[in-house]
Amino acid sequence: MIPVFLGVAMLTFFVGNAAGNPIDLIRIFLKNPNPAVLDALRHYYHLDRPVWERFLYWLWDLMQGNLGVSLSGRQVADQIGLWTITTLELQVISLVLAVVIGIPVGVYSAEHQYSKGDYAITTVAIFGYSMPTFWLGIMLIIVFSFELGWLPASGASGISYLWGGSLFTDWLLHLILPVAVLTYVTLATIVRLVRANMLETLRQDYILAARASGLSERTVTYRYALRNAITPVVTVVGLSFGAALGGAPATETVFSWPGLGYAFARAAGVLDIPLVQGITIVITIMVLVANLITDLAYAALDPRVRID
Amino acid sequence: MTKLLEVTDLRTYFFTEAGVVKAVDGISVSVEEGKTIGLVGESGSGKSVTAQSVLRIVPRPGKIVDGTIRFDGEDLLAKSEAEMRKMRGNKMAVVFQDPTTSLNPVYTVRKQLADILLLHKDLTKDQANKTALGLLEKVGIPEPESRLNAYPHELSGGMKQRIAIARALSCEPKLLFADEPTTNLDVTIQAQVLDLLKQLQKEYGMTMVMITHDMGIVADMTERVTVLYAGKVMEEADTLTLFTNPKHPYTEALLKAVPSVAQTRALEVIPGNIPNLIEPPPGCVFHPRCKFAKDICMKENPRWEKVSDGHYVACHRWRELSLEGRS
Amino acid sequence: MSDKTPRRRAASQWAVAWRRFRRNKSALIGTSIVAFFLIVAILSQWIAPYPPRSYEALYEGSAGTPPSWQHPFGVESSGIDVFSEVIHGTRNDLYVGLTAAILTMIIGIVVGALGGYFKGIISDIVLGLTQIFFVIPALLLILLFARIFLALVFKGFGLTLIVLILSFFGWSGTAFIVRGETLRVREMDFVQAARSLGAGSSRLLFRHIVPNILSPVIVITTLNIAGFILTEVVVSFLGFGDANTTTWGLLLNEGFSYIRTDWWVALFPGLAVVFSVLGFNLMGDGLSDALNPRLRE
Repeated sequence: MIPVFLGVAMLTFFVGNAAGNPIDLIRIFLKNPNPAVLDALRHYYHLDRPVWERFLYWLWDLMQGNLGVSLSGRQVADQIGLWTITTLELQVISLVLAVVIGIPVGVYSAEHQYSKGDYAITTVAIFGYSMPTFWLGIMLIIVFSFELGWLPASGASGISYLWGGSLFTDWLLHLILPVAVLTYVTLATIVRLVRANMLETLRQDYILAARASGLSERTVTYRYALRNAITPVVTVVGLSFGAALGGAPATETVFSWPGLGYAFARAAGVLDIPLVQGITIVITIMVLVANLITDLAYAALDPRVRID
Repeated sequence: MTKLLEVTDLRTYFFTEAGVVKAVDGISVSVEEGKTIGLVGESGSGKSVTAQSVLRIVPRPGKIVDGTIRFDGEDLLAKSEAEMRKMRGNKMAVVFQDPTTSLNPVYTVRKQLADILLLHKDLTKDQANKTALGLLEKVGIPEPESRLNAYPHELSGGMKQRIAIARALSCEPKLLFADEPTTNLDVTIQAQVLDLLKQLQKEYGMTMVMITHDMGIVADMTERVTVLYAGKVMEEADTLTLFTNPKHPYTEALLKAVPSVAQTRALEVIPGNIPNLIEPPPGCVFHPRCKFAKDICMKENPRWEKVSDGHYVACHRWRELSLEGRS
Repeated sequence: MSDKTPRRRAASQWAVAWRRFRRNKSALIGTSIVAFFLIVAILSQWIAPYPPRSYEALYEGSAGTPPSWQHPFGVESSGIDVFSEVIHGTRNDLYVGLTAAILTMIIGIVVGALGGYFKGIISDIVLGLTQIFFVIPALLLILLFARIFLALVFKGFGLTLIVLILSFFGWSGTAFIVRGETLRVREMDFVQAARSLGAGSSRLLFRHIVPNILSPVIVITTLNIAGFILTEVVVSFLGFGDANTTTWGLLLNEGFSYIRTDWWVALFPGLAVVFSVLGFNLMGDGLSDALNPRLRE
């Protein structure tokens, strides 16, 4: 894990600084920068030192939990917490929904292979992972927010206010469209995966043997077949959760959802390199943690993988 | 003696995207109680599907489309799914070919055995566990206590197959289908497993259907033999007669394909491949590979004819041909 | 001996796979869709009514109009004809998708084969490198790279740069598969046989091993085309792509600004993306089924 982390850190830092140091870059966007502020920032970032040293300074700061200072002057660490929660809110809810709906649908599809229901499900699924998530978001906004006026088009309307009555419904309404979009796309992958794995598992001899032993269809499907089929699904779900954490910029932008993705897109847009670096590191850590959890879950489910 | 199992004119077809595969196309087989019969043929002959049909566990897209199956006096095809489930693993059971794939890799041995015991018998968990232990001892597994908690992938092929046998016999079934139980095992282990099956059959008074392509096993284990090819029956007789006086060219070819130490001539290979089961050849289904085929063989399906008491054959020319048997 | 045995058809694995592919309805649909888009891409210059990024419609007075007979996909407020742009975008997006996928395939095969064939330190390095690139949040880094390189440094290189960036972050998946397959095939008898007949490493690798691992590589490369198109769309949508080259993502970016009023600007390019990606996905699935049969009988 460490080498991966270092690898990402290096890539981010060096590319981020590849086009010149951050201060010079801002010049392109700011009209009349205050030379004093610029000097202070220059000093803070040790810009008078060569790139390698700057990298090490940055890394050292990271170890101590200091994510750096954005070019807007604010501490990266201050805002990251809020952004992270906002993104997680969206991703976790969508993932849970996708898994809860996707697994039974995938099982159903596998059991009734070649039926009309199966064809319908697979078609809907394949459209789901063939479309850009954010585009679906745009379409739904056009339909539900502008044409029909049912749902709000943007923002999360603040998050931690779950207790107040109308604030709660407001929060919920703002959540519906983005969650719907994310859930659908994740669902598509899960259904497809579960279906494929179930079909594969159901062909195995031990399923035939289980039936030959008199076990009921439900037991065979859920306790025997699914138990075996689910393992690779867990892996993929875990990995894609990690990827999704970092992959939300477009969707969050469409919904103006103030999470990590939106922040990243804005930061990269104005070339606020330190901020970009900070966000990337945080996301990388979350991805690594997600992968670790996935590996553990896999070992828990499949005894063949465990090291005694 | 009463016939425990009577299958008459069974047809099981698979309705696939590529066409209708006639895996079992008019097979009739019967076994008397307590005896062992052999169901012989190459892969694709329909032997496994016949067993699956009796237990009514034919996987999709297969369906039993015609025929009757009587077990212990009852019509199996008339039973409901719930009633069939009570019989599977209980009154009739199967031992599969590859123990690596027929045992569930994510459950322990104990769980796989206990699940079935708990399903069919009124036992507590403790009793089931004890019984499972006893079963392992019976099939000759050393250190059964530690093996109980093992996962299949931790065991050798021979041991896995013994466990598969233990699982099949856990509820003392009346009828056992052994589907190529030794094909995937080392030669040295094969003999052990076959002996185990023989011994258990005697002990339990089971009726056994030995499904195999190996005539050597047939000679060793069975009292009667039915020879299958491409979903149809070619010949049926008691084992000794079949070996010494075969009346079907396919049977002769199968016998010739078994090497023996005393043999000095070259092994004869049966040329060609099994036919396409979606569009089987017209007339006798074996004619493309038969060295005795004549015009009539390509046009008409041979009838099921009696050679002598208990010996039947489906061949147009069986009267004219003099085929070589073995002793 | 009867002479009525049906003639045996060509039995090479590719021929068998091709026959299976041909019978697969959804694979054929996918291939047709892909073929359609390819034709559009090739003929784009001639079938598009307006040149790329052209504001001519402004002068006709039809800026900002919804779909009509003259402008089947409508016109943007700036005067850009959406129908033409979608056609031009087809060419560019397919270029990006195909080129990146092929480049990724080459890198993946080379790295994976080397990592799987040689034991010891080379294998470990390759494995480590592949793992790093596999786990990193690729999209973020792609966006970062694109933003920096495209906007500031390499103006005008546009699409090719995107292809390079996509491949730079996309090869690990293929490399993993190739490495695994190489490890598996390396131990097979025919490789040992070739070695015993005097074949050296490079001959073994390229003549014997690589041809036998092509099946999964073909599948994943086809699916990668779909993935790269989607990624490019995200990059351009966020404004990090080449603003002078028409891509579907760029159109969606423009469409997003008009989200309240001109719904057609976002709809049609999006549909183009969905169907082209769908086509490649169906093809990839079909190839996967054809090359790896899992059905009994």
